[in-house]
Amino acid sequence: MPAPQLSVSDQIRQLNDARKLVLGDVKYYSSVIKSILPIISPSAHIELRRWGVDFLAEAFATPAIPLGDKETLQPFILETLKDTLEDPGQDIQVLRSAIQAAASIYPLTLRWIINNSYDNMTWEHMTKIKARILQIWEKAEPSVRICCVKFAQRVVLAQSPVNPQEPRRGDSLDISLDKVPPNHQTLDVRTLEAEAAGLLDRILGGLQDHSSDALLVDAILNSLAILVRTRPNTVNRIFNAIFNFNPFKLANSPVTPRNRVLIKSMEKTTRMLLLHIAKRDPHSPLAQRIQQHVEGMMRMRSEILEEAGRKRALEAQSAGADAKRQRTQAPPANPEQLQVDPLPPGRHNLADVYTLSGGEGLKGFDISTVPAAMVAKINVSTLARINPQLLSKAVEGIKGRFAALAAMPIPELDPNTAPLGVDEDEDDDYEPDFFAAEDTEQILNKLDGQANDQPDVTELSLKSFKLPPPTPLTPEAALGGGQGSVLSLLEFVKTLEDVNKRPRSGINRLAAGSNDRESWIAIVTRLASRCSAEEGEISIKDEYSDSPAPAILGDSIRESLYTYVLEDFRRRIDVAITWLAEEWYNDRMQQKEGGHPRLHYEKWALKLIDGFSQYLHAQDKVLTRFLGEIPDLTAAIFSRVKLICRDPSVVPLALTSLLYVVMMRPPAKELALDTVQEIWQEYEEARPMAGKYLAKFRPAFLEAATRDAENNGTATSSTAVAAA
Amino acid sequence: MDTTNGAAAQVAASAGNDGNPNANGSPPPSDSDGFKLKFSTVCASNQNRSMVAHLRLSQANYPVISFGTGSLVRLPGPSITQPNVYHFNKTSYDSIYKELESKDTRLYRANGVLNMVDRNRHVKWGPERWQDWQIGMPRLDKTQDRGSAGTEGGVVDVVITCEERCWDAVIDDLMARGAPLNRPVHVINVDIKDNHEEASVGGRAILDLANDLNAAAVEERKTVGANAFDTGNASARASFDERVPDILAAWQERWPHLPALWTLAWF
Repeated sequence: MPAPQLSVSDQIRQLNDARKLVLGDVKYYSSVIKSILPIISPSAHIELRRWGVDFLAEAFATPAIPLGDKETLQPFILETLKDTLEDPGQDIQVLRSAIQAAASIYPLTLRWIINNSYDNMTWEHMTKIKARILQIWEKAEPSVRICCVKFAQRVVLAQSPVNPQEPRRGDSLDISLDKVPPNHQTLDVRTLEAEAAGLLDRILGGLQDHSSDALLVDAILNSLAILVRTRPNTVNRIFNAIFNFNPFKLANSPVTPRNRVLIKSMEKTTRMLLLHIAKRDPHSPLAQRIQQHVEGMMRMRSEILEEAGRKRALEAQSAGADAKRQRTQAPPANPEQLQVDPLPPGRHNLADVYTLSGGEGLKGFDISTVPAAMVAKINVSTLARINPQLLSKAVEGIKGRFAALAAMPIPELDPNTAPLGVDEDEDDDYEPDFFAAEDTEQILNKLDGQANDQPDVTELSLKSFKLPPPTPLTPEAALGGGQGSVLSLLEFVKTLEDVNKRPRSGINRLAAGSNDRESWIAIVTRLASRCSAEEGEISIKDEYSDSPAPAILGDSIRESLYTYVLEDFRRRIDVAITWLAEEWYNDRMQQKEGGHPRLHYEKWALKLIDGFSQYLHAQDKVLTRFLGEIPDLTAAIFSRVKLICRDPSVVPLALTSLLYVVMMRPPAKELALDTVQEIWQEYEEARPMAGKYLAKFRPAFLEAATRDAENNGTATSSTAVAAA
Repeated sequence: MDTTNGAAAQVAASAGNDGNPNANGSPPPSDSDGFKLKFSTVCASNQNRSMVAHLRLSQANYPVISFGTGSLVRLPGPSITQPNVYHFNKTSYDSIYKELESKDTRLYRANGVLNMVDRNRHVKWGPERWQDWQIGMPRLDKTQDRGSAGTEGGVVDVVITCEERCWDAVIDDLMARGAPLNRPVHVINVDIKDNHEEASVGGRAILDLANDLNAAAVEERKTVGANAFDTGNASARASFDERVPDILAAWQERWPHLPALWTLAWF
């Protein structure tokens, strides 16, 4: 925290240093964020406020911080954020950053509330933030309004259901309506869904109401792609809005330079969105509609911005551009009239070889101005209608030309004048991911470029191609790969949660018997526990090498499992139990084989209990279940249970869990009672309840202990009296 | 007298720019310690057009990073069918330079490729691919790159592409990413032919545009308070975001041969 007597610029400098620190090591984020909150208060200097809110927006946007950390951090800042937004005279830039931060935080808060339904305070703050932003949206100036649109988009994304059929990559960012349990005490699924539908309509309304405001239109269009892809119930409304949107409305007024920029921008952005969607699902019934719409828009565009259009056509002609695709134009309909003339002497490019019609105008036509899909359509319909005789005659003719060319002597190439291709940018930066017909097209382009070479027919035959051998796999790379696949598997498992609650198959489960969470978890837990057989060998090998001991795969998988469980331990406690059962079984098998195997069960059980014990609250049944179901209870585990009683609010929970163990797990009964005894001795506040249990199970101890305590009490009071 | 003063100001300003003599034609930002927009320049191979612009903007003290949208880095080879091809993010300009120099010094010097790569290796480590850029990841490991000061947060305010195909690739990629950062970004295309002369002209034009955009952004930051919002004051000054199309239209009048295109997208 900067001291108040520093000047603003000094404070900013200090803050910038703090920012450099957290950018270098994200684990400081939480403490830095908590300590900068005061500088965002309305009384703070404007520069400090701007800096602080920018920092918040950056922190909740950066992918460097894990989403789980952001989620646990957000309850601390919501109140400040709410006050910032509710300040009626707030600076515009502060407002913008605050809305951006809120947009990043919204899904995190929703997720937090899904898992922590008791936290009404946090949800109340967020509801106020949302209401305020939606209110600001009404009359804000455009640069703030686009941020409101983006916020609303995040709300729609979070509160609409995902496509259940769509196979999804593990993406825990993807908070959606189906993550909300139907009987949640704070969140009502139907209300949330209705709110999302209303907000989507309001966002799309912007395309109609502000159709000349390119900033807002672009901001809306550029935020729709993910909704169309991942939220199927938004698709129809979004497409209706796009198809009804006219980017050329401005053309009714004089086409000033500014209007030209705006029209081009809105038209191209609409087109990009449509193509982006059509490209990902070319067989959907919408794709054809999209194609028509795009073609119509491009016609309008060239009419309205005709000047540019004419210039382009001229350029294309003067460049003598590629006439190579002319062969796709329909040849004369009458086969009798088709005359394949032999090529005149001299040099020819590939286009000349394929040209059958004599029209110079047709030759100058730049077919690349026609969309590729349209060319394909023309091709197909032409090929379907063409007279087969005519086609074979034309093919024969071209073959004849090639034969004639092959018979001609090869002209010598002057190396000094041969083109180096420095300026030839058409090929060197071609982006192959964009067009399906890329390969043929690229080859044709290259052949075209060699205008002065004689086509060499032998070169056209396919050559055999061998993939270069892969680089040898090092053990480290293999480990890294294994680790990576386990991580992504766990991410994937997260998406399967809640999807299907099938009856559990218990001990008879098969790894990967079906595509549900249980069987995938079985695979991961077994990967973690069973691959420990290799450990001995690896560590021996390593003693002879200088490199630091590589991470043992099993342990790194265990670490991932551990993180996975702790991220949401209330719902994933069954995974923890399954896993520990596997570890326990594996430890037993290893011990049977003799030697001194590394044992894992107790270590990870302790780690888990340490991990979640600090987050327990009084109603958590998790602890009871954990102690009740893990395969083996040891003294060390009980000592951790005892430690939990440091927090008086969870003492009843710890003691009832122990009581459960006493009644339900006879082998651990004595250990559990010992623990209750120790709790009685060590924690004063726990005595009434612990005493009740001890009175039932260990009356002798209780009597003796109470007597001792009384004796001590009287002893101390008598010494006190003596001293007085 | 006026002209002399202007020239003196120019000299003083370019002296501020690390004393680089061939800084640029348009005046660099006057307030060298104040607010600066952050830029990203993009072309196909992150070699020629985007790198000229990267160098220009960094000489004018703008925070700037640069990318290519192609699948591979392609440089001219001995013939059109034998380009020199390199991987993005894994090959340094220095290693490309050394390889080309050992292959055929005369050829690559004559066609200007060696000079270009030589310039690039003094700007940053190597060509980076747009699609592999993790937007919002801290870039503290790039402090040696020119123009890296100010880009530590791994985001920019304005992306300038040098070819419409690259603009398309950038917009498509941003749509595919799904706008998780909720941060607006202006994406502007300035169509530049891929040769040394045009790239050099284009670099000047991009700096001219950057100066105008930055001036508007600085002006906006000086306005403190709520403006139109809540007080209903309609005569408030337009924000930076709103002024971008006006600035671009005015710029286009000055540079009619470099057709421009703009949109407001999201990181």
